[in-house]
Amino acid sequence: MTTGHIHGRKLDLLQGTLDLMVLQTLAAMGPQHGYGVARRIEQVSCDRVILNQGTIYAALVRLQHRRLIKAEWGTSDNNRKACFYSLTARGRTELEERASNWRRISDVMDRIFEPPTEEEAK
Amino acid sequence: MMSWVYAALARIRALFARKRLDRQLEDQLDAHIAFATEDNIEKGMTPEAARREALLKLGSRDLTRELHSEARGLPLLETLARDVAYGARQLRRNPLVTFTTVLTLAIAIGASTTIFTLAEALLFRDPAGVDEPGRLVDIGVSHKGVGFGSNSYPNYVDIAGRATSFDGIYAHTRFPNGTNLAGPGGPLEPVFVMETSTNFFTVLGVKPAMGRVFDRVERDAAVLSYGYWKRRFNRDPSVIGRTLQLNGRPFAVIGVAAESFHGTGVRAPDIWTPLRVNDSRVAGWLVMGGRLKHGVSRSQAAAELNVIGRVLQAEYPIENKEKDLRVAALSPLPGESLPVAGFLALLMAIVMIVLAIACANVSGVLLARASARRQEIAVRLAIGAGRSRIVRQLLTETVLLFAISAVTAIALARGMTLILVSQLPNLPFPIDLTVSLDWRIVAFAMALSFVAALMSGLTPALQASRRDVLAAIKSDETLGPGQLGRLRLRNTFVVTQVALSVWLVVVAGLFVRALLNASVLDAGFDLTGVELASINLREMGYDAATGAVHARDLVQQVRRAPGVEAATIATVIPGGFEGIGLGGLSVAGVLPPDGEPYFSPTWNVIEPDYFATIRMPLLDGRDFNANDLAGTPPVVILGEGAARKFWPGQRAVGNYVEMMRWTPGSQTPTGKKLLVVGVARDPKFGSLVDGSSNVFAYLPLQQEHLQVWTMVVARSTDGQPLTGVIRSTVETANPNVIVESSQAGADYAALGLAPWRIAASVSGTLGVVGLLVAGIGIYGVTAYVITRRTREIGIRIALGARRENVIMLIVKQGMGLVLLGGVIGLLVAAGAALLLKSFLFGAPALDPLIFSAATLLFMIIGLLACVIPASRATRIDPINALRNE
Repeated sequence: MTTGHIHGRKLDLLQGTLDLMVLQTLAAMGPQHGYGVARRIEQVSCDRVILNQGTIYAALVRLQHRRLIKAEWGTSDNNRKACFYSLTARGRTELEERASNWRRISDVMDRIFEPPTEEEAK
Repeated sequence: MMSWVYAALARIRALFARKRLDRQLEDQLDAHIAFATEDNIEKGMTPEAARREALLKLGSRDLTRELHSEARGLPLLETLARDVAYGARQLRRNPLVTFTTVLTLAIAIGASTTIFTLAEALLFRDPAGVDEPGRLVDIGVSHKGVGFGSNSYPNYVDIAGRATSFDGIYAHTRFPNGTNLAGPGGPLEPVFVMETSTNFFTVLGVKPAMGRVFDRVERDAAVLSYGYWKRRFNRDPSVIGRTLQLNGRPFAVIGVAAESFHGTGVRAPDIWTPLRVNDSRVAGWLVMGGRLKHGVSRSQAAAELNVIGRVLQAEYPIENKEKDLRVAALSPLPGESLPVAGFLALLMAIVMIVLAIACANVSGVLLARASARRQEIAVRLAIGAGRSRIVRQLLTETVLLFAISAVTAIALARGMTLILVSQLPNLPFPIDLTVSLDWRIVAFAMALSFVAALMSGLTPALQASRRDVLAAIKSDETLGPGQLGRLRLRNTFVVTQVALSVWLVVVAGLFVRALLNASVLDAGFDLTGVELASINLREMGYDAATGAVHARDLVQQVRRAPGVEAATIATVIPGGFEGIGLGGLSVAGVLPPDGEPYFSPTWNVIEPDYFATIRMPLLDGRDFNANDLAGTPPVVILGEGAARKFWPGQRAVGNYVEMMRWTPGSQTPTGKKLLVVGVARDPKFGSLVDGSSNVFAYLPLQQEHLQVWTMVVARSTDGQPLTGVIRSTVETANPNVIVESSQAGADYAALGLAPWRIAASVSGTLGVVGLLVAGIGIYGVTAYVITRRTREIGIRIALGARRENVIMLIVKQGMGLVLLGGVIGLLVAAGAALLLKSFLFGAPALDPLIFSAATLLFMIIGLLACVIPASRATRIDPINALRNE
């Protein structure tokens, strides 16, 4: 499944990572509209991830279809009609599973790229 | 896991809410831009810069939409639907291109489908209404290792009793026989009766529609075919138990066969009756078949029958001399499938060539269209459409084109099949050539068109989607390297088309020439204006003596009938499929060929005036006359070939030959001396059954046993058909005798030439089609090249070039292609002609007339196809041409 164009010179996103980012963002920030999610991801990554922001919407619809998030139309702070996405219970469970999975993988990857020095190993 | 199920369901739901979901996405994207713009303004940008930045960061809106709908719905299905809609719009926009391509494709696909329909009906179709056709086989007899012929009754009984590989072996007469049915109080009517062994239905697994089929050893019982029951008895159930008088013998109707069952061959009988016993082991009149036991392969069965065949040869060395048993898959044409398959393969090859021409043509047209659409495609590539996406789009269009053609083709194939079947001359027996439109034929047409679409659409699509985006957007009219490649490709198409069409036209010409040759060829006799009416005196209770007398009376009455110039009786007529075996011929001091004990002549049993009636000249001696009777010395008339062979350089008349005949049960033949009284001209075509024999021998009916089949042959004074006259005379002479089938002599003669007629008309028609298609192709290419060069032409004319010179320039280039294709085509055609030489009735294979005519024809077509667009192009005002950009 396509995760979309990422302006890759900065950072290539692994397959599926965008979905995980979106889930985590919604977990941390509460209900958000598409632009909010995109902006948050860019900010948190210190602009190292520059999204082709359109791809966010494909990720949102994917997650929505799998009932991990739900969408509701509402009005924003500045009175604009917008679609707000929020995590469902299923989404929360999925996020926990995938987050721990991700940590394990990244831990292993860290060890592979920076093997512990001999003293540390002892 | 569950989430994927939800996702799948949601995707399907999304298909039906596309409009709403699309709108929601647009709303979200609008909101997105608005939020981002506000943020940017807060960061201190001007409103314009803020909005611009927001749009940039969102990225391509099209791409977002595409990704969104890919993630949301069923992308393959949706793009397919969109491609089809888009393709249909494109096709509608170019009605002329669409029309010509659909037409050419439909003709080519339709023609192939027609041939396939025939092949299926004749070769591949399992008989309907039987159980497990895969285990059914035909059992035939080969003589000296060739053929797949019929067997005798005693041999059938022995084989069926000895073979262990079969659940059952059945036998039936080769053809349904025309038979007299005495109607209830009404006149006699002809029906076609097939005699079968009583296990026929049970071995085949045919169920009755009503009553029962033969299920025990029985006599005097009749099973009706469903079609006959419907036609003649209007589905009356009370027919069961009724007695039918068939040739004067009573048969009780015991049942009606299942509706789907029409027999195993192409000749559909009306009624099945049990086989009669015939003790002759020589008379081969039964077609055999059987059902293999479960787990027994065809080759195992063949091996067993081979042994049984050898044993039968040893037991009856004379009757079964050099006769082996063979096994083949059940076929509607037992033993005849190989030549039929060969003939159909030839037709199929011709048709495939036309399809190839049409494909090349469509390729060319599509390539031109793709070139015209380069800008559009380049723009789509530039805004990020994938190349595979574009290729898929272009291919969808092509497939759509072919799908329309396939549907048209199927409709066309129906008509063409009927025309082809009508090309068959009138046959003296009913045939079941169900050319119904079944799924296999539809699948064939569809598959063929799909493959053709891929073949002809892929190259243009790949070419068109090349990423020479910049050049395309600039719409550079000069021929860059990319376009040159494209042109070369189109040129290849033109050369191929011309070559194939020349080939086709030459072959068609050769067939037509062969047909003309055959029909003007002096056949040695002349059947135009002659009527042939079959009667069956034997069945009506006449014996040798009374039958001969009645036959003579009959002929004399026919001679007196109005409009009759001459009349006679004969058993066979040259040029047909039937032959009779009366025995061998022995001549003192002359050795028969191949170590045979006797000559095997083509016999005929005739009344006087036979030679006059069919205008076959008597070269020496006399015709039979009123004095050649049962008690007078036996006489014979020989063909000229036989006379020369037996007494080279001498007069044959006055010499004796000996007719050698086997009687049932005896090991040695008995001889009968015959005095040669006349010598007749040999027919050019003998019977197609034993056409190899060139020894013709004629016996007087009055001195010979009456044959089962007899033909009243009459020549009319004015060419009017004599069907009615003969029929009424025959029935007046004896109300119990009826004419079973009546046929014009010309139809009869046409039967033998039917394959050539079909080949000539198929290849002739297709040759014309190929010619047209190739013409369109050449025209298309030239016209296309010229549009590309409009500006160049404009400049040349503006600079003072003369129109004629410009036209010449263009024509020279176009004609180069035509010449190249023509030369290739002629070379290929010459090779093909040499292969076909044996089919051409002695017409020269490398007929200079046909070859030069084809060349001339193509030069003219090529010239027209070049000159018309060229002269149109040069008529444009140079100013307009320059502004063409």
